[in-house]
This record gives sequence, C-alpha cells and structure tokens, in this order.
Amino acid sequence: MVGKQVLVILLLSFVLGTATNLLSPNSIPFIGQYRELSSGDGPIVPPTASEGDPPFIAIDVAEMEFSLKSAVFIDARDSEEFICGTIPGSINIPFDYLPEENTQQYVDSMLQSISKDAHIIVFCSGEECDLSLHMARNLQDFGYTNLSILFGGAREWVNFELELERGEGCEE
Amino acid sequence: MRRIIDNDYLTFLFRIIVGVVFIYAAYSKIFEPAAFAKGIWFYHMVPGNLINMLALYLPWVELVCGVFLIAGYQYRGSVILINLMMIMFMIALSSAVYRGISIDCGCFKAAKATESSAMEALIRDVGLLIMTLQLYFSKSKKCMLDK
Repeated sequence: MVGKQVLVILLLSFVLGTATNLLSPNSIPFIGQYRELSSGDGPIVPPTASEGDPPFIAIDVAEMEFSLKSAVFIDARDSEEFICGTIPGSINIPFDYLPEENTQQYVDSMLQSISKDAHIIVFCSGEECDLSLHMARNLQDFGYTNLSILFGGAREWVNFELELERGEGCEE
Repeated sequence: MRRIIDNDYLTFLFRIIVGVVFIYAAYSKIFEPAAFAKGIWFYHMVPGNLINMLALYLPWVELVCGVFLIAGYQYRGSVILINLMMIMFMIALSSAVYRGISIDCGCFKAAKATESSAMEALIRDVGLLIMTLQLYFSKSKKCMLDK
C-alpha cells in the first residue's frame, strides 16, 4: 500500500520532470558530462566548464609549479581581494574590470614579459567562482597556448596554508 | 504524548507548513535546473553522471509530495518520501559543514557560494524534521482526500 504510493509519486515526478525538461527552454542534458581535473582524480570541475576549455589543475599541481617557478599565476579577482592575500608573484588582471574595447592589447600589456606559450595558471576566489574560467577563455582567444585553471582558487591555497603575499592598503 | 502527536489541528498545521516549504523549495529549482545542478555539484557527494538527473527529478518529487501532503492524497507515501528527503538533506548539509565547504544550502534556490549558511540550514532542517516525524507517527486523518 505505502510502497505503491511511493511508486506512484516517483513515477509522476519522473513523467513531470522528463516532460518539463523536454519542453523547457532551460533544459539540460539528462546525463551530465562533467570533466575531471587534469590530474584525473579529486572533485569534478564546474558544470560551467565545457569541452575546449583549458584544463583545471588541483592544488598540489599548482604548488609544484609554484615551487619550481615554472608557471605564471594570474589572479582574476578584484584588486581589493588581490591586495589582501594572493599567491606570491601573481599578476592581478581583474576579469570584472577588463576594458570592453582593446581587451587583448590591455591583457597583452599586462603580460608583456610573458611569452604566449608560457605556462599560465589562472585562479580566482574559490571553486564557486567562474572568473578564472572566463579569464582563461579570453587568454586562450588571445593566443596563449599553455593555460591551466587552479581548481579551488585562492581559498584552496589558503586551506593548504601555503605562502601568501599581501599588499599595502588591505582593509580587512 | 500520544494525544499531542495525534492532535488533528497540530497535524493539519504541520501538513500545511511542511507542504508549503516543499512546494516553495521545488518551485525555482524546477525552472533553473542548470543552476540547481551546479548547487548539487558544490556538495561533491553525487557522481557526475547522476547530477543532472537529480537536478531534474528531485524538485518534482518535492513538489508532488508537498501538494499531496497538503491534500492528504497518497498521504503515507508522501510522508515517507518527505522524511527520507529530510534525512538525505541533513546528511548532505552535515557533510558540508563537517568538510568546511562554504556554500549556501541550495535548499530553496540554486546554491552559490556564501559565507557558509549550511549550518543555519541544518538548524532549520532539524525544526522541519520534528514536524515531518510528527506527521509520520500521527494517526490523524482530518481533511484528507485519502479515505
């Protein structure tokens, strides 16, 4: 009796959910295609990432690149957040404040000492933040060929108690 | 104690409150499945290929259960599913709090990053669970479509 009621409710929900998704303009694939970190383990990357985007890397890879000084770190957060604690040596290019015109010239001028095939690791505040993904896509469009996105961003860096660089004027 | 649990007015009141909460919780998630999928993803508890299915069907289970609970139709099935969902939500929230994941619970809309409201949601869910357990144990049949 109760089992039958549960089945009725689940079946009704299944029919309604399927019909809504087939008819809705906001439909999503029934089976999600979520990529994994480039290292092949750990949590999956954000649903906002898609095929062709630069790979996401885990904190241990970023730390290794940092310690080897083999990558350039780009902080895509606002300057206030950048000043209050960032990965040492990072270049701050706030994605939200990119100029609408001549964007590439602006980005290239910020990265003038960096070659287009240098390994660049982009990050923002945390795993919920999409700024690094958007910034990496822009850099990809501008011809930068060796890009990665730090999964978990600055928060992951802090969680692992790694070295931080703070600027003057932090009002935290 | 039994008299309180079986009280018609208390049971009816809890049916309305829990039903409305579940309908409200389902509403925006139904129309924003992608955002809700991201909310589920934040918890890191569901395999990637099941995230979208959960995002598509869970809100409808919430909505149907909420409506049936208020109407008193397929009542026992609704109460059992609502209790199971409450337990599932509380396990997910507890896990998020334990792991220090900083997220909005995603209970009423798509989850996003906040200054950790998972604990607040967990406390609220304890209150709701008390009501849903009362509904589970109550023998009241007042104002129900089920005979």
